[in-house]
Amino acid sequence: MPAYHSTFPYDPNTDRLIGNFVIMPIKTKFRGPSYPCNSDYDIIDECLDLFRPNSFFKNFEIKTPSDRLLIYGILFINQCLATIQPHMSYNDAVKALVNLSLNHFVLPGTPGFPLNSTYQVPIEDPQQMALLKSYLAQFRQELAMRLIERVYTDPKLGVEAEQDKTKNSPSKYWLSFTKRKFMNKSL
Amino acid sequence: MSYLNNPAIVMDNGTGLTKLGFAGNDSPSWIFPTAIATSQGSQSTSSSKKLDTSMNMSNTNYSSSTTATGATSTGTGTNKNSYYAKSTSATAFDNLSSNVLLSNNLAGKRGTEDLDFYIGNEALIASQGPSYSLSYPIKHGQIENWDHMERFWENSIFKYLRVEPEDHYFLLTEPPLNPPENREQVAEIFFESFNCAGLYIAVQAVLALAASWTSSKVIDRSLTGTVIDSGDGVTHVIPVAEGYVIGSAIKNIPIAGRDITLFIQSLLRERGEQDTSLKTAERIKQEYCYVCPDIVKEFNKFDRNPEKFAQFVVENKERTSKKIIDIGYERFLAPEIFFNPEIASSDFLTPLPTLVDQTIQACPIDVRKGLYNNIVLSGGSTMFKDFGRRLQRDLKSIVNNRIAQNERLTGTKSTGVDVSVISHRKQRNAVWFGGSLLAQTAEFRGYCHTKQDYEEYGPEIVRNFSLFNMV
Repeated sequence: MPAYHSTFPYDPNTDRLIGNFVIMPIKTKFRGPSYPCNSDYDIIDECLDLFRPNSFFKNFEIKTPSDRLLIYGILFINQCLATIQPHMSYNDAVKALVNLSLNHFVLPGTPGFPLNSTYQVPIEDPQQMALLKSYLAQFRQELAMRLIERVYTDPKLGVEAEQDKTKNSPSKYWLSFTKRKFMNKSL
Repeated sequence: MSYLNNPAIVMDNGTGLTKLGFAGNDSPSWIFPTAIATSQGSQSTSSSKKLDTSMNMSNTNYSSSTTATGATSTGTGTNKNSYYAKSTSATAFDNLSSNVLLSNNLAGKRGTEDLDFYIGNEALIASQGPSYSLSYPIKHGQIENWDHMERFWENSIFKYLRVEPEDHYFLLTEPPLNPPENREQVAEIFFESFNCAGLYIAVQAVLALAASWTSSKVIDRSLTGTVIDSGDGVTHVIPVAEGYVIGSAIKNIPIAGRDITLFIQSLLRERGEQDTSLKTAERIKQEYCYVCPDIVKEFNKFDRNPEKFAQFVVENKERTSKKIIDIGYERFLAPEIFFNPEIASSDFLTPLPTLVDQTIQACPIDVRKGLYNNIVLSGGSTMFKDFGRRLQRDLKSIVNNRIAQNERLTGTKSTGVDVSVISHRKQRNAVWFGGSLLAQTAEFRGYCHTKQDYEEYGPEIVRNFSLFNMV
């Protein structure tokens, strides 16, 4: 059984493509170019669910455009977990991850991005690149915030229990995945 | 003719562990590592004498302190004596190391070098000292060092089983594709050195099939089926038709118990647990691991049910300090490497269900249905909960996909193939148990080669053994 793929089909009517990178709707309050999402489960939830199993795989075959977004999300989660230190408080982690998601980051297609062979984006079109950049900023912020909610959940109590996440320390079960590299790549 | 009523002796010498016992029992009397510690050269005589005196002294202490409970220091194999306790690990022995070595009387009195050796758990302890070196005479299932193996058998018979070989029939096991020359060598040792009454050498996979007859799922006692034998070193997939191994189709994967232990260890280290020794990883493997239907769902289950996370406490020998080790996703990730080898290794990528399918497809077409029908598990690394169920599900989907494709292409309707994986309670020592079942039957002696046959015809008689025909 190979690694897990994205279950979101590419819909040409609603999803915009930048080169072969897809802009999918996400549920978010952060401002950006994403269309509002009308389902409960979006690509970000899927990234968070598939991050742990897929981290163990070195090979991944891209089947749909949404797989490219999934790869980006998984690699970004890995980068976030590397940023969270074992004894960081909830508030410090929020600050660190907001910085990480907004500070200068490498766009797909530009030099320095690790997976340029699979991402083809129109670098010469500044309008498209601006759209990509603002979408990724939105995507990264939303993903980072939802990740923190999961990482600061005490595994001994479970996700359903009422707990004050600001008092918890990050789950070591999540942080242990820092050392695994999906597809042997990191952002 | 005193041997007529004695039970046969069943010996299963594996790469990692040796299982010894009497036919008719439902579990082996002794399980210990197939290891031998031999003395090294000239300095050994003086140091072994020293060791002997110190052993005798502490032996006396030991017996005086335990006479109240009625145990003697050289007890006859009761579990009070930790050397004889059953082992499930080829490496773990430190729970024994604080005790003294059992006095090997022959070695002490005669002072002859070639009698100065230990086997099993004692060998592991002796090898920690300066004067003994440890070796494993069986490698990849086959005997590599005959001199060591002969001495290993000698101790097995006289020190552990405590029997006279001329009064007993012996059932030994061999791996599939064992060269006939090796059998002859075994026969020479058993008939000439030990003077045993009769000998049968059975193929391990066939015995594992016989052991599955105890399962309620087995209706006809046939010797046709696919055996999946997973021990410490390698996992074999062996097709057997009517008692004959189909040698050309045997396949193996380099993933077995040891790889699972190492994978658990690496997960513990990534999480920074307090104790990440191999022994801890092995205990976690044996006590907490299980096979899950789908790893994404299982991760989410862990998020929802915190009681899935377990804890494991490691105490040191003196029980003064405690280390608490949290156990997380390795509970289901570790056995997953059979079904997704990619997560642990980069050079071997074929999942076990695919390999089983390839094996059966490589067999003659008229036996394939029987092979799919009766897939039998054997060995310690198949003991994970739901291992059989997952294998059956994955294999079934491979087979059904192929049937559907075939029906589409040819337009004919298939009668379908029934895939059934059998797991049973005797799985851990399935080979030994199968041997015990067969050797207790009345026909067994008829199938054996006896001392008289050997003397009449010579060692080449063991090239052929008649098969048990139990149907």
